[in-house]
Amino acid sequence: MIPAALVPAMPHLLAGDPAPSWAELATATRTVGDRLRAAGVDTVLLLSTQWFTVLGHQVQCDARLRGRRTDENWYRYDFGHLEHDLAVDTELAHRWADAIDAAGMQARRTLYDGFPVDTGTIVASRLLDPRNQGRWAMVSCNLYADPSAMAAVAGAGVRAARDLGRRLGVVAVSGLSSGLTGRWITPAEDRVEDVHDRWNRKVLDAIRAGDRAEVLAMSPQFGEAAQADSQFRAFAFLDGAGAVDRPGEVLAYGPIWGTGAAVVWWGNQEET
Amino acid sequence: MARVFQVPAGSSRSGARRAAGTPAGPAPAPARASGEQKAGIVAGYLAPHPPHLVYAENPPQNEPRSTGGWEVLRWGYEELRRRLRAHRPDVLVVHAPHWITMVGHHVNCVPNPRGISVEPIFPHLFRYHYDFRTDVQLAEAIVDEGASAGLVTSALREEGVRVDYATIGALHLANPTWDLAVVSLSANNNPYYYSDASLAEMETLGAATRRAIERTGRRAVLLASNSLSHLHWDTEPELPEDMGVERPFTHAQYAGDMELLQTIREGPTSRLRDAVPKHIEATSSETKAGSLTWLLAAMGWPAIAGDVLAYGTVIATGNAVVEWVP
Ligand SMILES: [Fe+2]
Repeated sequence: MIPAALVPAMPHLLAGDPAPSWAELATATRTVGDRLRAAGVDTVLLLSTQWFTVLGHQVQCDARLRGRRTDENWYRYDFGHLEHDLAVDTELAHRWADAIDAAGMQARRTLYDGFPVDTGTIVASRLLDPRNQGRWAMVSCNLYADPSAMAAVAGAGVRAARDLGRRLGVVAVSGLSSGLTGRWITPAEDRVEDVHDRWNRKVLDAIRAGDRAEVLAMSPQFGEAAQADSQFRAFAFLDGAGAVDRPGEVLAYGPIWGTGAAVVWWGNQEET
Repeated sequence: MARVFQVPAGSSRSGARRAAGTPAGPAPAPARASGEQKAGIVAGYLAPHPPHLVYAENPPQNEPRSTGGWEVLRWGYEELRRRLRAHRPDVLVVHAPHWITMVGHHVNCVPNPRGISVEPIFPHLFRYHYDFRTDVQLAEAIVDEGASAGLVTSALREEGVRVDYATIGALHLANPTWDLAVVSLSANNNPYYYSDASLAEMETLGAATRRAIERTGRRAVLLASNSLSHLHWDTEPELPEDMGVERPFTHAQYAGDMELLQTIREGPTSRLRDAVPKHIEATSSETKAGSLTWLLAAMGWPAIAGDVLAYGTVIATGNAVVEWVP
């Protein structure tokens, strides 16, 4: 049983003066971090849809990702300036890349000084692991490959972790609907438009019911009707890890600058 | 494709933004001595940015080394460089699709952007050390004109935002010595939500760019940093520059590009108002990010033909180097 979660990607969760929804989503993400630690997780397999790529599947192989990111859109806000210090489980990363290759896909081992870590990864890692105690194994989100490829990539990660005897957690960093508000708003103005809100709730209901097949079946339509983040490749990834064949607990749901965002936890069934 | 950002020009919403944070207009244009060349937009180029073209050239600024590749496109850029020099511009103004801004149109107003740009998608090909000078007065004038026209805009003044490969790629390929001032504009779209730029807004941004150039008295060359047909492979050969596997994604993608280029070669540019959206529909063209529409709008959709200097594919995407001289 692998504990898993879906958490938001937008940096507003780190705002000093957040909208109520941003604060709830941030608190829920911290709760996920507490639960992953309580489950004794050694390493978290992480997919952030904001590390989007187009060629093969990039696996981060740099042992330490330390630096500061100034976000190219949100630089005028406090949450647009992000420090990060991430420890990568490189043994697992290399084993994961090998497993991706062995499954007939193309792994790309990423090890470059100054590599720009994406905003989603930084935001999620800071909330999940505020004391920088955890280790990560990270892969990019290939937008040109079929969404099902992300499932195969996650499956390869789980096999690699099992070979190494790691206690694994799996986290996908992604939004739900888009509908991003195309102007500068105050936090109080933030809302998800009605059609997108209905879609998000429909998907979250299916997740609560533990109906993975239903969520996968509705994902293309969700992508189309609500411009779901990366066509909801996040769920395909979690599914490939075998982590969502049980009811998910929706810890928070709400808007971030017009987009839909949720924190969902898949733990032991007794817990949820 | 869906378009997420559809704030109409002049809406009250963007009006509120305007009041909140746009800078004051720039100082008056420096007077030009008599006999100096006339100010304005002196040429526009479709200047695609695949990092492969920079990689293939092995310039000192880029860390990875190659054995070449994509020569015909690079020869087209060599011709562009000769022509660009002859236009004697003061400034290169570039609109690029990989400085992705989710909210509004941003203009880089940092006087001296510098650093290393490790490209997250192609880090094995593009780790480029950049150091260039911004024409801050013109940059601010574009922000100001855009906001006055009702666009959501922002002046980037924070150091430390990494300059993207589409901006650097077009600028390097057009002017590898970087001895001209630069103004860099973002693309207001969002690929992971699959949104396109609003081409109507690009018209407004283009017109604003033109007014700013005229107001500041600059001789400007515009660069639209866009590829054409944009379906491509999702894996890469062992040797990235293996030309044995370089070809169009499909014949339909190639044919779509040729149809557009034929229209460009025949002119006038006004025909491209219909041809560009049709080409986007047929080929998922990267012009959906709006750079080409911005360029042609800034030039006032001149009644001229474009000169196609080169065409070639890069990981199957179509790329053309094109010049328009008004
Ligand atoms: Fe591009």
